[in-house]
Amino acid sequence: MAQLHVGRRNLGALAGAASLLPMLGAGRIARAAEPITVTSFGGIFETTIREVIVADYEKHSGNKARVLTGSPEQWMAQIEANRAHPPIDVILNQVDTCLVAGRMGLVEKFTVEKLPNLADIPQQLSDMLQGWGMVFTFGSWGFAYHERLKEPPRSFVELVDGTIKGKWRVALPNAGYTGTPQVLIWSLAEALGGSVTNVDPAFDAIKKMKPNVAFFASITDPLTLLESGEADISLYPDGRTWAAFDGGAKWLRYINPKEGGVNLPAIVQKVKNGSDLAWDYINTMLAPGPQSEVVKRLNYETSNPKAVLPPELRARITPWQQCRFAPAEAVAAAKAGWIERWNKEINA
Amino acid sequence: MRHGADRMVDAVSGAALLGFVVVFVVFLLAPILVVVAVAFSSLGYVAFPIPSLSLRWFVRVLTYEPFLDGLRVSAELAFASTALAALIGVPAALAIGRSSRPWAQGMAAFLLSPVSMPLIVLGYSLLFYLSVLGLGASFASLLIAHTVIGVPYLVRTVTGIYRSIPPDYEEASAILGAGRLASLFLVTLPLIRPGIFAGCLFAFLISFDNLPISYFFGSADASTLPVVMLSYMQSQFDPAIAAISTVQMVLAMIVLLVVERFYGLRRIGAPA
Repeated sequence: MAQLHVGRRNLGALAGAASLLPMLGAGRIARAAEPITVTSFGGIFETTIREVIVADYEKHSGNKARVLTGSPEQWMAQIEANRAHPPIDVILNQVDTCLVAGRMGLVEKFTVEKLPNLADIPQQLSDMLQGWGMVFTFGSWGFAYHERLKEPPRSFVELVDGTIKGKWRVALPNAGYTGTPQVLIWSLAEALGGSVTNVDPAFDAIKKMKPNVAFFASITDPLTLLESGEADISLYPDGRTWAAFDGGAKWLRYINPKEGGVNLPAIVQKVKNGSDLAWDYINTMLAPGPQSEVVKRLNYETSNPKAVLPPELRARITPWQQCRFAPAEAVAAAKAGWIERWNKEINA
Repeated sequence: MRHGADRMVDAVSGAALLGFVVVFVVFLLAPILVVVAVAFSSLGYVAFPIPSLSLRWFVRVLTYEPFLDGLRVSAELAFASTALAALIGVPAALAIGRSSRPWAQGMAAFLLSPVSMPLIVLGYSLLFYLSVLGLGASFASLLIAHTVIGVPYLVRTVTGIYRSIPPDYEEASAILGAGRLASLFLVTLPLIRPGIFAGCLFAFLISFDNLPISYFFGSADASTLPVVMLSYMQSQFDPAIAAISTVQMVLAMIVLLVVERFYGLRRIGAPA
């Protein structure tokens, strides 16, 4: 970690020196051994990273890891602004932005030499990410529904058909939600006979369903929509569904549709020019022991098949082999056009 | 006839006032009250109405370290950036307030420009600029960025008050033998104090709630509360968010109450 760190306590000294920084080349100051900086999403994800992964890493390595909460776009901007001395060593990412980070030269390729635990993980996952990172956890987007819906749809085809006929009201993400291109547009297109290059079936279906759709912009909205009766069924990730169920929403049910839910994994990447100590941290993230604990805490499947799932979780979690993965690169290239089309056709 | 017209005006005024109160309650007050109510929910997810009362989410706030760290950073940042903005904004306002030189208007527009720009663009630009200076994502960068957005409020309020005060007071002070510094501290600053207070209050609250600027500068040492809350909401949505929002609202209200107690909100922005 080579970023110049400025704490609040040494701010006074910094203020005097600030005007001289460009001349002194402050970005090159002190590449002393420092703790690595890793990232996490907030909430229970952060608690899990800190108490499971960081704790394991610090125990076996003797090094420290500091956790920065936030989101991939924020971290990527910070790395891009300071490529030579990035303020972050390890980022969590989504599939599409993971590939963007690779193409922009912000991250390094993964190899078994650097990450021995990579050898246990199916090659298919590495290929999907073109070697720019590895899946840490999986989240499958299937159907979460209220128990009052006695005959829920079992497939995307049935979901579309029943919604058009008014059998139920469905909550779908709108164009403002980051996962919409994958979990809704591509998913519907693929399930209804289209493809990533032909999303007409998806747009046609959304237009026809629209009178019985409650659109949401935030991942936090579907539970409220389902409980209030504004929707009976929603596209929603399995892990969140079960977390809400355990949190008191006992009326909540979940189905992995016949075609397979769309998997949106959380991916770990090593930042280029970041500390090499980060490799050991990432190897810890991919190890079966820590991943077994992560599954228990997050209700999300992890990437190492050697991770142990308790039987009650095995019944809940959708195996990634039963999910669909959107072609990330093609979706990333097409999504700006899809959003523009959405604004013209769906929002019109 | 005259009485009839008066009664008509009274009825229309009354109806307009009632309409305003209804709109105020429905669109401003009710959503805030719902957030406060949800903070006391016993459920593990956000739902309204709440089934029973519980303090579990306030306990969660107290035990979730990033919330407490974020709250501390936000408070320190708001105080420090407001102080810096005052140190920069007040002298600038005094310099341009009565200047008739051609550059004064240009400088005034320049000092107000941060509020005319989308904050997310300003934040993104400052991230790259401050990274070139070697500051990157740090508390110092946050402080600089928040000061940049605080200065316009100080400049605007102080300039407004300063221009509304006749120059006679400063001239009288000079005629009676006071030097420039004595005039500044004994005459000018006491007269413009309401403007300084108003500007500081705005700058503090703008900094305390800011997300688009702070978003780019979060570091492991210093992430502000709004950034931590956004990240929390993106991966988990339980009533802890409502609880920390309630805490944040209470703190903002305490600031306003302190101002009211020691200064008086009605005096803010009015000439002394």
